Amino acid sequence: MEVELAEVRDFLAAHPPFDSLPGEVLDDLPSRCTLRYARRGSLVLRAGLTNDRLFVVRSGAVDITDGHRLVDRVGSGGSFGMSALIEHAPTRYDVTAREDTLLITIPQEDVDQLISSHPTVAVHFAATHHDRIRTALGQLQQPERGSAVFRTSVRDLLRVPPVMAPPDVTITQAARAMADAGVSSLLVMEDDRLVGILTDRDLRRRVLAAEVPPDRPVREVMTGRPVTVRAGALALEVMLEMTGRNIHHLPVVDEDGSVVGLVTTTDLVRLERSNPVYLVTDLARQTDVDGVVRLAYRIPRIVDQLVSEDASAQDIGRVTAALTDAITVRLMQLAEAELGPPPGSYCWVALGSAAREEQALGGDQDNAIVLADDADPADPWWGRFAERVVSGLEACGRERCPGDVMATNPTWRKTVRDWRVQFARWSHEPEPDAVLWAAIFYDMRAVHGDTALVDGLREEVVALGSRSELLLAYLTGQAARHRPPIGFFRGFVLEDAGEHRDTLDIKRGISAVVQIARVHALRAGSLALSTSERLAAARARGVLSPEATTDLTDAFELLSYLRLRHQAAQARDGLPPDNHIDPARLGSLDRRHLRDAFQIVRTAQHWLSTRLPPVP
Amino acid sequence: MALRDLLRRPVPPGPLADVADAPTFPRDTPLAEVELLALDLETSGLDPRSHELLSFGLVPVRGMEIPLAGARHLRVRPRGDVGDSAVVHGLTDDVLAQAPPLPEVLPEVLHTLVAPGPRRRVLLAHFAQVETTFLRAACRSVYGAGVRLQVVDTLEVERRLLRSEPHELTRGFFRLDACRRRHHLPRYRAHSALTDAVACAELFLAQCARLEERRGRPLLLDDVLRP
Repeated sequence: MEVELAEVRDFLAAHPPFDSLPGEVLDDLPSRCTLRYARRGSLVLRAGLTNDRLFVVRSGAVDITDGHRLVDRVGSGGSFGMSALIEHAPTRYDVTAREDTLLITIPQEDVDQLISSHPTVAVHFAATHHDRIRTALGQLQQPERGSAVFRTSVRDLLRVPPVMAPPDVTITQAARAMADAGVSSLLVMEDDRLVGILTDRDLRRRVLAAEVPPDRPVREVMTGRPVTVRAGALALEVMLEMTGRNIHHLPVVDEDGSVVGLVTTTDLVRLERSNPVYLVTDLARQTDVDGVVRLAYRIPRIVDQLVSEDASAQDIGRVTAALTDAITVRLMQLAEAELGPPPGSYCWVALGSAAREEQALGGDQDNAIVLADDADPADPWWGRFAERVVSGLEACGRERCPGDVMATNPTWRKTVRDWRVQFARWSHEPEPDAVLWAAIFYDMRAVHGDTALVDGLREEVVALGSRSELLLAYLTGQAARHRPPIGFFRGFVLEDAGEHRDTLDIKRGISAVVQIARVHALRAGSLALSTSERLAAARARGVLSPEATTDLTDAFELLSYLRLRHQAAQARDGLPPDNHIDPARLGSLDRRHLRDAFQIVRTAQHWLSTRLPPVP
Repeated sequence: MALRDLLRRPVPPGPLADVADAPTFPRDTPLAEVELLALDLETSGLDPRSHELLSFGLVPVRGMEIPLAGARHLRVRPRGDVGDSAVVHGLTDDVLAQAPPLPEVLPEVLHTLVAPGPRRRVLLAHFAQVETTFLRAACRSVYGAGVRLQVVDTLEVERRLLRSEPHELTRGFFRLDACRRRHHLPRYRAHSALTDAVACAELFLAQCARLEERRGRPLLLDDVLRP
C-alpha cells in the first residue's frame, strides 16, 4: 500500500530524532500530526502556558526567547516545545515566528509513546549535554593509527613490581637482590617511603671505582631523594624527563606519593620513536638563537601530527608546553652564556595559558621573573637577559604580549617580597586592570631557575586570593561577562542579540571555561594550574557538582580540540593560526556538540553569577 | 453559483440527505470556529460530462489547524480508460482497477462534509470550480440530486489579497504552487489529490494570517467566503 501523506513522512524521516525511527512507525506518524501556520512576528507559544504538543518547523524559522534574551533559533527540521512535554510543566519560553512558518505538531501522548518505545527519541529529547559531548569526543577522537607515547600513561608501562630494600642492607645484599630479579635498579625504602635508588651505574661508579667495601650499608652509595614521576604522566613526559636529566630509571609514585613502580628507558624504547623527544634533544644542542628558532617552527607540524593521531587537546597542550619550555630554557642558557652568570637567584615563570599548559598555536607570550629577596631588581643584567629571551621567543613565533605582561617590563620583575605586596594590593583594591593582572599572576608556573621561589609565592598568593571576597567577585564578574554564542543557524554563528556572524571565535568559549575554573579553584584554595585539574579540585571541595565538573571538562576538551584541529590545518596550509572557525567547515555533529558545549558554558556562567557575591 | 440548483429536487435519505440536514455556518461566524474541508480532485479531464473522476483528496481544517488524522485519499474505479491523465497523476489503470466505483466512494466523501454538531463543512479548494462541478455531477449521477455547499476558493482569496498590492500578472500567477511560494510555503515534489488538498489547506492558513494582519481583527467566515 502506498504511504499517504508522503510529504510529511519523508520530511520527518529526514530530521532527528525521527530519522532513527523504523519505517512502519514513520508511515503511521503523519496521521497523528496537525499542521499549523504562523505569520512572521506572531507568537506561537507563550511562556507560562501549558503546551501539550511537540512542534517541528516544516518551513520558516522561530526564535525562542526568555524575556528579551534570545535562547535559540530553530529552522526547518528543528523541534521545540519538548521541554514542557518532558517536564510536564508550563513552557518556559516565548516562541515567536521569525519568518512565515509552517509547523508540524505532534500531540503529547504520541510523543510520550515514541519516547517510551524508541530510546533514540528519548535520548534526543532528554539526553543530558554530558552524554552528547561524551559521544562527540568519542567520535572525534576515534584512534586511527596509534602513537603510543602520546596516549600511554606511565601507569600502563609498569610491568613487574620493583625490587626494594631498606637502607641498612649491605651493598652485596642489594646487588644480589638485583641480580636475582634480573633488574638494573633497586628502590631503597624506609617505612614505606622512597629514600633512594641504586642502579648498575651507581654500583660501577660509587662502589667498584671508588673501592667502597661491599659490606657497607646501601644508604652510603645510593642516589638519595631521587627524581620521581607521577603514575598519570604521559610516556612522552617521562621521555623528556629522562632525556633532560640523563637518567635511565624513574620511580613512579601515586597521587599520595606512595611508590607504585619503576619505569626505565627500556620500557620506553618499546614505544615508538617520536618527533617531540628528538626536538628537545636537538634543541639542547643548538648554539645560537637562529638554530632554536629553526627548530621551533617544527611545533605546528608536531601539533598537526598529534591531532591526526587523535591525541586529546589536554595531552597536546602538555606536549606543546614541554616543547615551549625546552625552547625557553635553551634561550635562557644561551643568554646566560652571553651575559655571564645572573647576579642573584631567580626563577623564570610562564604566565597565563602557557602556565596552564593550554597554549594554542600562535598565542602571545606572558612571562615574568621572580627574584630571590636578596637579589637586586635594579641590576641591568635582568633587563638584558629578559630582552634576549623575549625576543628569542618572538622569533620563534610567540608574539609579544600586547598588554606588556612580560619579563622585559620591569613591573613584571620583582622579588618574592615585592610580588607578595603587589598581589596583596591587587586583592584588596581591585580595579579592572588589576583583576586581569591578578588572574594572569594566579596562572603561574616555574620554567627555569630556582623553582622553590615560585612554589612558596604561589602558596601564599592562593591563600590570600581565596580570602579576598572582592577579588573573587571581580573574577566572577569577568568569568560571567563574555557569553559564548548560542549555536548555529543556517551556516552562521548565532549570537545572543540574534545577529549572525560568519565565523566562530572559539577562544571566547575556551576562555570562559578557563575563567570559570579559575574562580572555582581560587575559591577552593587550590594550587592546581590546568583547567581540568582546577575543575576537579573544585569538585573535590564540593564547590562544583560532579555533573557540572564533567560537563565543563568535556566542553573544554571539545572546544580546545576543535581549535587545535583548526590551527593545525591552518599551519599545514601555510596560514597564520587564529581562533576563527568557519561554521560551514564544521560537520553537523561538531556543530551539534559545539552548541551543547556553549550551553554548558552559559549554564555555568549563570550559576556562577547567581551563587557568588556580586561586585559591591 | 454553487450546488444551489440541485436543492430543488428532493434529496433521498442517505449520505447526501445527512449533508443537506446539517446546518451551514452563519457568515458572521468567527473563522476560528468554522469547520472546512479542503478538497482536491483528480480527473481524466476538465469536462464532467465526458471526463471521469479518479480520486478525492480530503483534509479538514478546524480551529485554523489541519488535523492530518482526517486526511483521506479515495480512489475511484473509472468506467473507461484513464488515458493521458495517468501521466500527470501517476494513477495507472491497474491501480484504479482495484478501487471501488464512484457510488461506493461518494458516501464517504459526503460523510466527511458533515462535522460533529452536526454542521455542514465549508468546502475549501483552489480554483474551486473544478471541484464543485465534478462533485455536483457525481451527486447527480449517484443520487439524482445535489446539495448546496458554502465554498472558500483560495484562488479568490489570493486575488483579494493582491488587489491592493501592485503585481504583474504573468502566466501561472495564480497557480497553487505560485501562490504558496508567495506565502513562503515549502514546495511539494509530487502531486496527488491528497498532497494538493493539504497544500491548499496550508495556503488557506497562510492567507488568513496575512488577511487578519491586514484587517487588524480576527477574521469571520464572511471575510473569505466566495460571494
